[in-house]
Amino acid sequence: MSAPPAHSATAPAQVTWADVNRDVIRTVGMPGDRYFAWMCLVALTLACGVAAWAWQIYVGIGAAGKRTPQMWAMYITTFVFWIGIGHAGTLISAVLYLFRARWRTSIYRGAEAMTVFAVMTAGLFPLIHAGRMWFAYWLMPYPNQRYLWPNFKSPLVWDVFAISTYLTISVVFFIVGLVPDIAALRDNSTGIKRKIYAVLSLGWEGSDQQWRHYRRGYGLLAALATPLVLSVHSVVSFDFAMALVPGWHSTLFAPFFVDGAIFSGFAMVLVLILPMRYFFNWYPYITDRHLDAMAKLTLVTSLVLTYFYVCEVFVAWYSGDHFERASVFAKATKEYAWAYWGMYFCNCLVPLVLLSRRARVNSVVLYVVSIFVLIGMWLERFNIIVPGLGHDFYPYTWGTYYPTITDSTIIVGSFAWFFILFLGFIRVMPSLSIVEVKEVLPHPLKHGAHGAHH
Amino acid sequence: MSAMDRRSFFKIVATTGAAAAAGGCGPSAEKLIPYVVPPDNIVPGIPAYFATVCRECPSGCGVLAKNRDGRVVKLEGNPEHPTNTGTLCVRAHAGLQGLYHPDRFRGPLSGGKPVSWDEAEKQLADKLGALAQGRQGGRIAVVSGLETGSLGRLMDEWVRLVGARPRIAYEPLGYEPLRAASRVAFGRDAIPDYAIGDSTYLVSFGADFLETWLNSVGYTGDFSRMHAFFQGKQGTFVAVEPRLSLTAANADEWLRNAPGTEGLLALAMLKVILDEGLQAAGADANTLRAAIRSADIDAAATASGVPAESIKRIARELAKAKGGLVVGGGIATAGSTATDALVAVNLLNAAIGAVGPRVRFGPASPFSRVSPYSDMTALTQAMAGGQIEVLVLVDVNPVYAMPPKSGFAEALGKVPLVVALAGRPSETTARAHLVLPILHSLESWGDYMAEDGVLGLMQPTMGPVQIEGKAVQARATGDVLLSAGRKALGLEEGKGPLRWASFQDFLRDEWQKVARDYGSNAPFADFWDAALRRGGVWRTPTTPAVSIRPEAGRIQPGAPKLEGDGSHVLVVYPSSRFYDGRGGDRPWLQEIPDGMTQVAWDSWAEIPTETAQKMGLRRGDLVKLTSPHGSIEVPAYPTDLIHPGAVAVAMGLGHKYPGGFASQGIHATGTVSQPNYLNGGANPIELLSGAPDPASGGLPHLSVKVTLAATGGRRPLAVPQATFNQDDREIAQWVGLGPARELELRGKAPEHASHPTMYPPVKYPEYRWGMSVDVDRCTGCQACILACQTENNVPTVGKAQAAYGRIQHWLRVERWQEGTAAKPVNMFLPMFCQHCEVAPCEPVCPVYAAYHTREGLNGQVYNRCVGTRYCGNNCPYHVRKFNWFNYTWAAPLDQQLNPDVTVRQLGVMEKCTMCVQRTVAAKDAAREVGRMVKDGDMQTACQQTCPTQAITFGNLKDGGALVSKLSASPRGYHVLEELGTTPAVTYLKKVVRAEPAGGHGKGGH
Repeated sequence: MSAPPAHSATAPAQVTWADVNRDVIRTVGMPGDRYFAWMCLVALTLACGVAAWAWQIYVGIGAAGKRTPQMWAMYITTFVFWIGIGHAGTLISAVLYLFRARWRTSIYRGAEAMTVFAVMTAGLFPLIHAGRMWFAYWLMPYPNQRYLWPNFKSPLVWDVFAISTYLTISVVFFIVGLVPDIAALRDNSTGIKRKIYAVLSLGWEGSDQQWRHYRRGYGLLAALATPLVLSVHSVVSFDFAMALVPGWHSTLFAPFFVDGAIFSGFAMVLVLILPMRYFFNWYPYITDRHLDAMAKLTLVTSLVLTYFYVCEVFVAWYSGDHFERASVFAKATKEYAWAYWGMYFCNCLVPLVLLSRRARVNSVVLYVVSIFVLIGMWLERFNIIVPGLGHDFYPYTWGTYYPTITDSTIIVGSFAWFFILFLGFIRVMPSLSIVEVKEVLPHPLKHGAHGAHH
Repeated sequence: MSAMDRRSFFKIVATTGAAAAAGGCGPSAEKLIPYVVPPDNIVPGIPAYFATVCRECPSGCGVLAKNRDGRVVKLEGNPEHPTNTGTLCVRAHAGLQGLYHPDRFRGPLSGGKPVSWDEAEKQLADKLGALAQGRQGGRIAVVSGLETGSLGRLMDEWVRLVGARPRIAYEPLGYEPLRAASRVAFGRDAIPDYAIGDSTYLVSFGADFLETWLNSVGYTGDFSRMHAFFQGKQGTFVAVEPRLSLTAANADEWLRNAPGTEGLLALAMLKVILDEGLQAAGADANTLRAAIRSADIDAAATASGVPAESIKRIARELAKAKGGLVVGGGIATAGSTATDALVAVNLLNAAIGAVGPRVRFGPASPFSRVSPYSDMTALTQAMAGGQIEVLVLVDVNPVYAMPPKSGFAEALGKVPLVVALAGRPSETTARAHLVLPILHSLESWGDYMAEDGVLGLMQPTMGPVQIEGKAVQARATGDVLLSAGRKALGLEEGKGPLRWASFQDFLRDEWQKVARDYGSNAPFADFWDAALRRGGVWRTPTTPAVSIRPEAGRIQPGAPKLEGDGSHVLVVYPSSRFYDGRGGDRPWLQEIPDGMTQVAWDSWAEIPTETAQKMGLRRGDLVKLTSPHGSIEVPAYPTDLIHPGAVAVAMGLGHKYPGGFASQGIHATGTVSQPNYLNGGANPIELLSGAPDPASGGLPHLSVKVTLAATGGRRPLAVPQATFNQDDREIAQWVGLGPARELELRGKAPEHASHPTMYPPVKYPEYRWGMSVDVDRCTGCQACILACQTENNVPTVGKAQAAYGRIQHWLRVERWQEGTAAKPVNMFLPMFCQHCEVAPCEPVCPVYAAYHTREGLNGQVYNRCVGTRYCGNNCPYHVRKFNWFNYTWAAPLDQQLNPDVTVRQLGVMEKCTMCVQRTVAAKDAAREVGRMVKDGDMQTACQQTCPTQAITFGNLKDGGALVSKLSASPRGYHVLEELGTTPAVTYLKKVVRAEPAGGHGKGGH
């Protein structure tokens, strides 16, 4: 994708409210052949993933390459990966909203959709991972005749709460943000579509009173969602930090994971937004300014992550703990060294390109860097889990994990699941916020009064 | 007929509804028929124990078969039997898989086709009768295994009646040189009893007495009596062997000699003793001096590679020790000069005064009655010459066990009628014209003399095994012989020489004589009942005095004759799991890792590291070993623990016979069934010449040199132990003998690392179960693994899964090595759930499937387990096993399952429960008499079988319990103590004489 920007960096000022309506609403509706081809490919991949999962349920977890000592492997790696992806969405939509970072407006809808779908993807993995997934509901505290409750000491139960809370808040926040835009879609459509959008728009009329309530509600939800950016991935990190395994048992993990989550999330946002800008020709809305801001955040989180990596190694050395040292040494030199050094390359070295402003506004460079970051962040979780477990306390059981066709297919299938949701979404809902983009445009009636408080 | 009222309507609806529901799902229920008259000794849910004899090898250990509701579910040692005193080896436990083997013959086969018993017996009897009447009985030959009891006598009588050639009691591991050496040295045609337990300084020239040598279980117990650190004392054990066997790994010093130089070393030591005048008073100096005429210490040192200083030092220590003893004659060292070498060993024993007190010709070993291998080669010649018309093979497999070059298999083709009496298929039954299925020893009457004066009595411990709902059509060997003999000779039941209706009657008659012989005054019925209950009768035999004969001075124990011009001497050693190969068809034995190499499944060739490096061989690369007599392909196992001029392959695998279970791959969709490829591996016997050693008549196992060639292929080995180097983690710890004595004197329990906690201490109202494991006692024999597996319904998973860290064993025996390759210190550490007080597995379980019981166990609720496997990650010992698949047991192996223990399903975690089912039973029993469970009420399965009593289980809250005392031992430590898991299992450090160079196993606290 190399289309030059058709508009200057300050483009939004040149478009009108009517342009926004037109440009966004035309993305919703009957798609072209290319879209269908993509959908077919994604659906086929998803079907393979579903088949692999069905096989795994039938045969047992043994179909996946897990073993002693790696009783966790790629499923939990990918679970943490997807949870992490979600964080950038919430950060953009809630935290940047509260901080009044206006540049968020044109990307937040896509980011928010990404959050919801990423959490939905991540949520599958505990099920895929469990030996008896049909009993996974036992992790929920529900009233039952046996008076059995989950073990609140277990980080996995905390996970259940963290993820379900996160999913709930993100979905509500997402839907609330969509309401005025759905109303716009309703007003622009006819027939059955109009009826469906009418129901989904929850009777939005755009009245002053509605706007007042909407704004207050949206702000409250943003405030509610903000702590989740920090808490959810902290809780996920406790799955590791609360355990005994060398390389896991660390107080560093909560901030380390949160930063990594935001880092990978921004990369994923870029991976999704850049093609949308290209295919939907949204250059007026997603400008170099946006890219620059995103790239800067990616760079900052990368640098912070590098610091954490250094800390991790330093602490392992400085603690003098034999197991920690041996664990780091094995990660760096033994059978998984490629993953370890690959992680450093992708997460620490490649993003340094973004120190250059030219790179930051070059969509190709950004895209490539983002892909590297995504790979690097997946490898980071892989490194924590697979080599970490593979070389832990007990030398007798040290061993190497080899993926199987089944678990690899399920992992690839999870990406298909995410993309089928995302691709579907961009064709039925406005993936650019009509309302918020208009907010940053000059008011058609009151020139020079844009951006005022509503 | 009255109208249907409301109540009957509901009744009918309810019944038909239930019937429809029951019929509608799953396989239809089998018919359950209750006993009309229940048998007296079977109470549902309560096991009955039947005393019998283990027949997995000729040692003749006493076993108690635990019968639950008509099925034997476990074998336990008979505590009263003098041979094994309640303990068992790994092979004995696996006897159950012979009993329930899916390949067992369902009925007689003639030409491979099923026939009725009458028809089969007629075929045999007609042929026998024709020959007997034609006075051609000499054309009949009978080969059986070693039968030292009534069956042996019946067979001999039968042989006499039909006029057949004398019966051959064939044992592939026959120890002929030991017998020959006794003949030469003492003029006694017997293998003596070695009182290893009474010795204080033991030197072994290749005798693997902790694995297979003679009565290995008894010797393992004896060895712990002699060698385990006790009250500040510890005997010394020196092993002279070309490869570090499990036995040598337990030695204080391993002298790695060139293969076949044992005799030279023994004579050199004798020379040192005589030269320095260290011989015991009363030793026959003339004969001894005659023997060492040609002995040369330096030449022996050069030939063997053992330093002259070591030879001298050990000779002096041996002579000066009050209880010196020298043993030798392992199968692996049996070359052409083995007899002379063993005479030298005998002379050494005579010189140090061991003959009499520690080398005793009463009780003699049952192996004394084995027919020499040369009888088999003579028979082969007769067969090849067409002199044999009927060959009766009773539960032997010479086609597998004899080298192909012996020509036995081809000669078999010249015999018009080959009759195999066997329970399961083998290479031999595959070539037999007539296969007569016999009952397993656990289903039969019989008796077995384990040593002079120890006569074990066997009784059926269950009815014939049912396969697919039908009992196997097998008969007792004795019954077949009686009936076929009568038919052949035209005799009648009730009178004449074969008058007994069944072998059981014959046995009772024989035992009338036993009763008189053992001086029983009680009525015979009482004597019989008592013997059945006790498992036999035993008395202490007299020990005749023996002296060395002058002939012993004429020995020439030089280097053995080695055929071929290969680069390496082939060492063929008996497998501690498969023995001579008879255990090869048991999945249990296949999956238990070898004690030294930790290889499960498959064969391997131990190749010296430098050779492997030169050839570019890695572990698992296929290597072709070629001798003048054949070649085999095996995966390589490079090791430092073998003489650089030798390669070693264990016996027991490489079977080639059609057997459904043994040779087929079984991978049912959706389930991983019991593992396949039991007939994998390679048989090193194929590389031997098959010519008997003239001196002893035995098969010389050390007789060829082989060339090695990498084939380029690869067959990775399943080795569950990732490394033998514990990486300074102090998992297996040791302490020097001096410090250990000092610790014993101070008698203070070590201070365990303190881990401050915010939580109140855990309270145990009644019991706190715990264990102690003495690393100093553990010899790595692996019996506990199989005892645990049998007791707890642990599945076997097959080679591929075993290789990939998915072995399900709840208990593993780890080997940790320290020191240098030349002076290794090996420690064997049984590892299982440590039942930590602060258990890492418990808090992480989201559903309380892993929880702490009020008795200190880490409970695991299978029904509640969701399978997150978090506990498995968080267990620093990795003793939790996950059910990766739905493991199943091929019928009828499933009949062995212990009904007291859940068979776990797919997707749940499992681990050692410290035999909680036994604890519960013991508590019930104690409650009935109104007291707490006390020491001795119960044992865990692993503890019960341990020949060295390395494992002790009990209530840690009971200060008087042995486990409490041992847990407070100054040698006690916890594995990975610094993690603060406070395990309930305390390990006791190994006491080492020579501290390993660069070792770190010694605890720092």
